[in-house]
Amino acid sequence: MSGTGPRENIFPTRMALTNTKLRLKGAQTGHSLLAKKRDALTTRFRAILRKVDEAKRKMGRVMQLASFSLAEVTYATGDISYLVQEQAKSATFKVKAKQDNVSGVILPAFEVDRVQGSDFNLTGLGRGGQQVLRSKEVYAKAVETLVELASLQTAFTILDEVIRATNRRVNAIEHVIIPRLDNTIKYIASELDEMDREEFFRLKKVQGKKKRDAEASEALRKAAAERYIEVEDIQIGGGGGDLIDTKDEDIIF
Amino acid sequence: MATTSFKDRNLLAVIGDEDSVTGMLLAGIGHVEHQKKNFLIVDSKTQVSTIEAAFQEFTERKDIAILLINQHVAEKIRPTVDKYQQAFPALLEIPSKDHPYDPSKDSVLKRVQKLFGD
Amino acid sequence: MEALFFNVDNGFLEGIIRGYKAGLLTQTHYSNLTQCETIEDFRTQLSATDYGNFLSNEPLPISTSTITDKATQLLVDQFNFLRSNAVEPLNKFFDYITYAYMIDNVILLITGTLHERDTHELLERCHPLGVFDTMPALCVATNVEELYHSVLVETPLAPYFRECLSAADLDDLNIEIIRSTLYKAYLEDFYAFCQKIGGPTADVMARILSFEADRRTINITINSFGTELSKEQRANLFPTIGRLFPEGNNALARADDIEQVRMACEGVSEYRAFFDNSSSSARTNGGNDSTAHLLGDLSDDSGPAADLEDRFFLHEVHLNKQAFLQQFQYSIFYSYVKLKEQEIRSLTWIAECIAQDARDRIHDFIPTF
Repeated sequence: MSGTGPRENIFPTRMALTNTKLRLKGAQTGHSLLAKKRDALTTRFRAILRKVDEAKRKMGRVMQLASFSLAEVTYATGDISYLVQEQAKSATFKVKAKQDNVSGVILPAFEVDRVQGSDFNLTGLGRGGQQVLRSKEVYAKAVETLVELASLQTAFTILDEVIRATNRRVNAIEHVIIPRLDNTIKYIASELDEMDREEFFRLKKVQGKKKRDAEASEALRKAAAERYIEVEDIQIGGGGGDLIDTKDEDIIF
Repeated sequence: MATTSFKDRNLLAVIGDEDSVTGMLLAGIGHVEHQKKNFLIVDSKTQVSTIEAAFQEFTERKDIAILLINQHVAEKIRPTVDKYQQAFPALLEIPSKDHPYDPSKDSVLKRVQKLFGD
Repeated sequence: MEALFFNVDNGFLEGIIRGYKAGLLTQTHYSNLTQCETIEDFRTQLSATDYGNFLSNEPLPISTSTITDKATQLLVDQFNFLRSNAVEPLNKFFDYITYAYMIDNVILLITGTLHERDTHELLERCHPLGVFDTMPALCVATNVEELYHSVLVETPLAPYFRECLSAADLDDLNIEIIRSTLYKAYLEDFYAFCQKIGGPTADVMARILSFEADRRTINITINSFGTELSKEQRANLFPTIGRLFPEGNNALARADDIEQVRMACEGVSEYRAFFDNSSSSARTNGGNDSTAHLLGDLSDDSGPAADLEDRFFLHEVHLNKQAFLQQFQYSIFYSYVKLKEQEIRSLTWIAECIAQDARDRIHDFIPTF
């Protein structure tokens, strides 16, 4: 029974038992709470997972469209990449981070923060400006998809991390802490029982001894009393026997 | 997860081939400050070490929220990419014109698939 | 008289160019190319044409830009051959053809200098037709002032720069405005040159260049909607030739939306057609469904305008083809270069469609013959 599993190194007292029992209760509550949290997170996680998968596939298509629109630009205008690279000054397409709270886990989400810039407005002025404009829009849409995906992915990474941590905790409580507390309780209980039994046995022993002593003295007293009666008898029966002739037995008390 | 760690991240960065970068720049993500760009163009002549350096730089910068990288470029520095676990900046592998998207190579999607599998 | 002596100087080259022209891809070639499943098939198909084995030494996979580069290289070789065999005034005419590309190259170098890039690596990006001997000299310039002077001294484009721009302009103006200004000066100059040659060359080139000028005018107008380009600036960029000039140009300078552009072009019957159909037939080809589906209303707005560009290309090809109908004149050389360019564009387009698996759009190129 006790002593088989790992237990806490504790002095088995009734006080410790109460404490440990309280701790066990706490651990159980914690376990169920954490398990609930884990379930909530996992639900969210599954949803995100599906979305990530979907978004990744969508991204493939959107990016294809986008690069195709760039091909249209090249068709109409020629190579504009260098001009575009050199004209890039400050970002007009930014993201803003906001937070989302899932069971106490802060998930950041990116939001597109776009200001209408005029950076490349004149690119392709003489030829293909419309294609450039269109390609700009297509790419902006594509990047929006990417941003969305990035939020999902960040959420995914963080949730993954948190779920793992929670899982670890749940498992730790379930498989380490609770059994250990259980064991401790059992140990204390058995130890206390053992002590009880020893005490009982000791008491019994003492009682038995006392009883035996009592019996012994009782017997002695009885014996003494009998001899006294005998002596009386002799005196009565013997009549006038010579007191001097008769030798008294030594009386030992 | 301190709030400040992503509040001031608002830029996107991109490592990719010329067309992808051009497209992203057209969309308006380009940001050049003190001769420091937030994009790197990779062609056949670009050294792997250059890509690595750019990757390190972008992932260490405090103002970048999302790092986009072409999948075929990511392939070149796959060990570094796979090792990358931070939430910020979010790393996103994107397809390029000449290299259609292959979900099985994506480090994140690989994990997704694995999780879906079990 | 013109025709009598033409062949003395130019008969050989005209023969060559007509031979080259026969090598342009035909409709059959195009339909074969559009059937290709992969870029390798594409290459095999091309090897049966005049392109021969121009891609055979390329490592796989072949990117579309390689195809463009190689095809352009072929064109450049042909062009240089013709050019080196030409005599006055035809070689001058060839020079003029290259100026258009030079403008692009110089603009590229200016951009590089403005952003303090190493301009040497830009040299590879320059269009090979627009390369001139002294171009590397431009790379020496480190600031705008220096560049301006070296541009003036070293390039054949000097007159255009002198007339239109000052050194300060290079710094202040948007690079696209500089480009358009130069192009305008170039078109006007080229036009004047062709008129000086006279005869059928003047006739045919007048048609082509007028259209080119009008196309630029219309494009600049449409593309400047909603930008910081003021109407006066816009008017300054319009070439002062073309069939729309002057009333049409004036109207376009004041135009605020595409409808007014249409009104301005009403006066020229050929141009009317560009706008007429663009609203009715907008996106009848079901190929864009997927695009429209994914991008919402986006493609609806830009549809007609993008179509317009295609129509312009179509008309340009048409005009250039007509140039071949007349003998004893120079414009066939110009037309050949333009047609070949269009062909390269179409090839790139088809290759792009194959590479990106966008079969529904593969027929949206402009065939030449």
